[in-house]
Amino acid sequence: MTGPRFWKTLGTRRDSFGEFPPGAQEPPPPPGEADPSRRRFLALTGASAALAAGVACAPSSDGGLVVPYAKKPEEVVPGVANYYASAFQEGEAVHGVLVKTREGRPIHVEGNDAWPLAPGAAHFRATADLLGLYDPDRVRAPQVEGRQAAWPQALDRLAAALREARASGKPVLLMTPALLSPARRALLGDLQRALPTLRVAPWEPAADHAGRAARKALYGGALAVRPRFDRAKVILALEADFLGALPGAPEAIAGFAQGRRPAGPGGAMSRLYAAEGVMTLTGSKADLRFPVRPSSLAALGFALAKALAARGAVLPAGFDPAALAPFDLAAWAAAQKVAPASLDHLVADLAAAGREGLVLAGPSLPPEAHAAAALLNGLLGAEGCTLDLSASPAAELISPAEMEELRVQAASGAFAAALFWEANPLHASPDPQGWAKALARVPMCARLGLHRDETAAACGLLLPIHHWLESWNDFDPREGLLALQQPAVGPLHDTRQAEEVLLTLLRALGGDAPADYHAYLQARWRREVYPAGSPVSFEGFWNACLHDGVLAHEAAPAAARALDGEAVSAFARSAAASAPSGHELLLYADAKTWDGRYANNGWLQELPDPVTKNTWGNPVSLSPGDARRLGLSDGDVVRVDLAGETLLAPALVQPGQAEGVLGLALGYGRSAGSVASGVGLNGWPLAGARGLLRLGAALVGTGERAPLARTQEHHDLLGRDIVRLWTLAEYAEKAEGAAKETFPTLYPPQEFPDHKWGMAIDLSACVGCSGCVVACQSENNVPVVGPEQVRRGREMHWIRVDRYYEGPAEAPRTVHQPMVCQQCDDAPCENVCPVQATNHSPDGLNQMAYNRCVGTRYCANNCPYKVRRFNFFDFTSALPEPLDLAFNPEVTVRPRGVMEKCTFCIQRIQNARQTAKGEGRSVRDGEIVPACAAACPARAIVFGDLKDPRSAVSKLSRSDRGFKVLAELGVKPSVTYLADLRNPSDGGKV
Amino acid sequence: MIIGCRMKGETALLPESLRPMELTVGTVTPGSLDDQVLKFPEQRPPARWYAALAFTSAVMLLGFSLIGYTIYTGIGVWGNNRPVFWAFDIINFVFWVGIGHAGTLISAILFLFRKRWRNAIARFAEAMTIFAVMCAGIFPLIHVGRPWLAYWLFPYPNQRGPIWTNFRSPLLWDVFAVSTYFSVSLMFWYLGLVPDFASMRERATSRLRKGLYTVLSMGWRGAATHWKHYEKAYLLLAGLATGLVLSVHSVVSFDFAVSLVPGWHMTIFPPYFVAGAIFAGFAMVVLVLVVVRKTMGLQNLITDNHLDVMNRVILGMSCLMGYSYVMEGFTAWYSSNEYLHHGFRNILFGTYGWAGWLTITCNILLPQLLWFKKLRRSIPAMVFVSLAVTAGMWFERFVIIVISLHQDFLPSSWHLYKPTLVDFGILFGSFGLFFTLVLLFARVLPVIATTEVKAILPGAQRRHEGGVL
Repeated sequence: MTGPRFWKTLGTRRDSFGEFPPGAQEPPPPPGEADPSRRRFLALTGASAALAAGVACAPSSDGGLVVPYAKKPEEVVPGVANYYASAFQEGEAVHGVLVKTREGRPIHVEGNDAWPLAPGAAHFRATADLLGLYDPDRVRAPQVEGRQAAWPQALDRLAAALREARASGKPVLLMTPALLSPARRALLGDLQRALPTLRVAPWEPAADHAGRAARKALYGGALAVRPRFDRAKVILALEADFLGALPGAPEAIAGFAQGRRPAGPGGAMSRLYAAEGVMTLTGSKADLRFPVRPSSLAALGFALAKALAARGAVLPAGFDPAALAPFDLAAWAAAQKVAPASLDHLVADLAAAGREGLVLAGPSLPPEAHAAAALLNGLLGAEGCTLDLSASPAAELISPAEMEELRVQAASGAFAAALFWEANPLHASPDPQGWAKALARVPMCARLGLHRDETAAACGLLLPIHHWLESWNDFDPREGLLALQQPAVGPLHDTRQAEEVLLTLLRALGGDAPADYHAYLQARWRREVYPAGSPVSFEGFWNACLHDGVLAHEAAPAAARALDGEAVSAFARSAAASAPSGHELLLYADAKTWDGRYANNGWLQELPDPVTKNTWGNPVSLSPGDARRLGLSDGDVVRVDLAGETLLAPALVQPGQAEGVLGLALGYGRSAGSVASGVGLNGWPLAGARGLLRLGAALVGTGERAPLARTQEHHDLLGRDIVRLWTLAEYAEKAEGAAKETFPTLYPPQEFPDHKWGMAIDLSACVGCSGCVVACQSENNVPVVGPEQVRRGREMHWIRVDRYYEGPAEAPRTVHQPMVCQQCDDAPCENVCPVQATNHSPDGLNQMAYNRCVGTRYCANNCPYKVRRFNFFDFTSALPEPLDLAFNPEVTVRPRGVMEKCTFCIQRIQNARQTAKGEGRSVRDGEIVPACAAACPARAIVFGDLKDPRSAVSKLSRSDRGFKVLAELGVKPSVTYLADLRNPSDGGKV
Repeated sequence: MIIGCRMKGETALLPESLRPMELTVGTVTPGSLDDQVLKFPEQRPPARWYAALAFTSAVMLLGFSLIGYTIYTGIGVWGNNRPVFWAFDIINFVFWVGIGHAGTLISAILFLFRKRWRNAIARFAEAMTIFAVMCAGIFPLIHVGRPWLAYWLFPYPNQRGPIWTNFRSPLLWDVFAVSTYFSVSLMFWYLGLVPDFASMRERATSRLRKGLYTVLSMGWRGAATHWKHYEKAYLLLAGLATGLVLSVHSVVSFDFAVSLVPGWHMTIFPPYFVAGAIFAGFAMVVLVLVVVRKTMGLQNLITDNHLDVMNRVILGMSCLMGYSYVMEGFTAWYSSNEYLHHGFRNILFGTYGWAGWLTITCNILLPQLLWFKKLRRSIPAMVFVSLAVTAGMWFERFVIIVISLHQDFLPSSWHLYKPTLVDFGILFGSFGLFFTLVLLFARVLPVIATTEVKAILPGAQRRHEGGVL
């Protein structure tokens, strides 16, 4: 084109007459040479060669195993975490969770904020079960008679056995976990139609069997019970550890904590009475606690009912008032050495609370106690207010007695085949050894499980199944609530989801079923859940549900249920007839290993028991009085004789335990699993089918010793002002002074230009559940050190929950205090480090540079809070594959000889700051949540910027309950504790 | 010159208590002195020496192999735990640094005070200083979690930032204090050895030995200018070392005093540590010299008078220690600090109360026996007391370190400490190293500074009253 070129708009001009057209900076190509130019070619060649050389020379500590994505998955951005909503089922409880994944692997499990029962609070066992996914002991491929086999081969054998059973009409046993999944139930229904002789037996050893039996008699059906602690003004817990071991703990803690934060002196606060034999977490938070024999609790319940009835409460229809005649509060108080005045307070409080009162009986108690609790709740009118009862959607669990019947049936050779899906009767059942014998009489035994556990060892066919983090499912824990479980990672091993195995069997039996469970689940949702005529497509609906992890709709308010008065009278008469003697052995599901299924989890084994602070095992707990009388102390091996059975275990002297009561946690004594086997002893055979409270036990010392592995060995505060436990009356007195405590200092105050991170921990809300410890362990790659090292005082937890007793050992006051690095402004650890490995950040953090640490341990000596942890050995580099995948890539894995400690989850702080910076704003209050705070169901831990006077943490730091631990040392800690409040009935002593 | 003649008449006029101490027994001439002292490196050692060396070096090798095991496996093989992050490692360090102090005190401070009796024992005591500091130096090195990075404690130019050391940390002060102490002690010791090396060079018959001592004596000819410079240098180094006697253990005590651990955070610590170090050091010198003078036949040079006066020092230091203990208790009580009260009660009545009572018995009560002149001159008695003091001073550091650490502020973190066999093995190994070095020294180098002893032989110097001694 020749001639002048005209332009019409500025845009055209820029494009055609641009000052810097593309390629302008390069010399024009010589005539006849094509682009790209020779220069450019040479430059690119040189750069490529340099890059190749650089890559080749880079240290490849991964041995060349790590390669970048050739094709990047759509959702994965290296270095950026993805979160998936999912659900975690454990027995009869379901917890909504959020699974954090990095580069496709789950690294942390937190609560789901959309979960309506306990927003944002997952049970710590769900968090800890991340380790179950990466457990090196998981079976990685099917096994037939102990030899590795291909899936089709293994399944063909099983299908053949089932077809044969169908032909012969012999029953087939399928033992399952609790069936809280509608899709699972539908699938089992389909399977049952294809195989009519199938006997489905949902077995949960640690379920509330006694309460279930009582409710069945009282209400005439299986009920889902939901206590509403957020609405309760007065709570009476009869051996009911709702804050601790019971599966619904996160919801209970969240609700309970709401009633424990009075707005100020004179504010409203709930009141918790606990009557129990062993010291539970719930008892430790009680405003008034009665250490009594558990066998007497039914009598207490009925005596209270009598007192309430005397005050005008209406007994249920059909109830025989004469059945209450044998019970008398004053007589009970005298027999159990309880001050009668405190019982009068209890009666008055319950009567005053009315429907805002709540009485709970624990699963270890006999059905009579549950009946008494139900009667009391009926008299209070609690139902519909503090107690929601609804028809249980789950299929009926089998009771221990039915379990025994099944065993007898199996031993008689009645079953053609037996499938054990997760349930582990060879460890957790009334008669594990009997089951081992019985299985020898079953021609085809198949194990659908994760591990080669006790039951697997007795089964010819071992079919490894997916971990829940690899599975699809749905759950309906309550009416009107559906949860979805989705895989957060592809299967790590050659495993299949258990439901998929059942689908294969269903097809092999001639049923019509899709190939995979995902399709089955979706089909069911399309059919049953997807609202007909919805403007949203099913895919959109499904994806939205998956995103939220939960689908809730208003359930119709349950009709009030009438108590069967005659049944209550029968329970009352039976309670009046019992006459306990000797020691009582109370068995209870452990807060950590629960029924034993988590015994192979190092995080949980090493988690200090919230009350005893014991790790790695289940000692027999006994009262200080009994220990004194028998000359026993912690770690002495004792023998408990129980009508022909004996039990040898180390003793643990438990302050606050009632005289004549022995406690033993269930869930230990596994004989399979590299972590679990040989730790503690199995209490399930002692329970048998008779319930978890055994009477007539005799206790003797053996003279042998088996030292306990406890993380805390001193439990007495010695009057030190480390933790403040106030009654409401004391709160009014002391509130003024606490906020104004200042101490002289020679140093100028530290300056923090932008932020000053700080924390506030409300001890009144904190119940000591220790969920923060597990979350921190998962988030910060805290190693597990084993019982021997715990005994030497070398556990590595960055956060610990100190538990102190005060007052007489028989009835102490208990207080829990989470202890993290206090990030002192004038940190005593910093000035003593000779190499400056620990120093102060401009935002107020006491930082630890692991690379620089030489390991003189001087900092730890000089830390008054003793929160620093030292790697006495190499705890991390020799982990068996694939355990290393559980590491959080955002946190350095510390080598041997290096000091480490809480960082306030600096990686989360940095992530939030980066996000804020990218969005051109400052960090918002509440945007940064350390792992411990995120895991706290009570929301007792609050983190934020102390420079911002409006932040939540600043407000709490100025609280009239606030105090700093060891403030008089002048180290200026950044953590403010809020005094633990108690609300005892007489306004005086706790 | 009337060297070697005793002017009995003169001293006999003085009352017994004012007579100067007799520093030699029998007739000692410069020639006989050289023959007596310098012959040892020229002869084959006796069989019992070999037996002793075999034993001590076996113990030393055990210690070193356990150190190797520790470095290979981790500090976890020791009993250290949380909260007792320091235990045998630092106890042994403080113990050995303390042992060294007697040598420096004898060679430097007593030199400046012209205590003539120090001349006969100075050489051995100085050697013990060096060996003790070598033993001590091992522990800070091996006690760190990553010993291969221990050089980071030295402030040297580097390319890591550069990252500098933390001059606020007492551990860093330790590095300077102990390394200065070691180098000054070594120089002082070597300087004193030079004239003796020259004497040995003159006596040497074999070419090898002659060559060796020629090099070691650095051209010493005994010229008047040599002596002039030597005396000046010796005086200057003595002055330097005098400061170190006081500073080194003061700095070591800062490791504790500067921290906030109840039981460590005490202003009395620096003088109290210095007194303790001299106390322990003298006990060790007495123990070793008693054996050396018997086995090597040196009773005429290291006389009962020498032992007597050293025992008096031990007694004096014991009284100072007693005062310190009482003041520590008083401070604890007067502080009205509950943590300090608890810590001090622990020393006497806690789980490790036995260690507290053992310390008091060994360091305060038993040395009181030395008030009696008869016991000060009795070998079994002084060996008993010195052994008690050595053990007592080790346990004193156990009391300070372990008892204070195992129960500090928060009762939740309290934990008992239990040493392992490796801990004991390394402790014994350090004794093995010390005595191996002592044995080698005794046969390889002149154990007594002949030139210095020649200067105090009877009649060698004029007395200020006139006449000669």
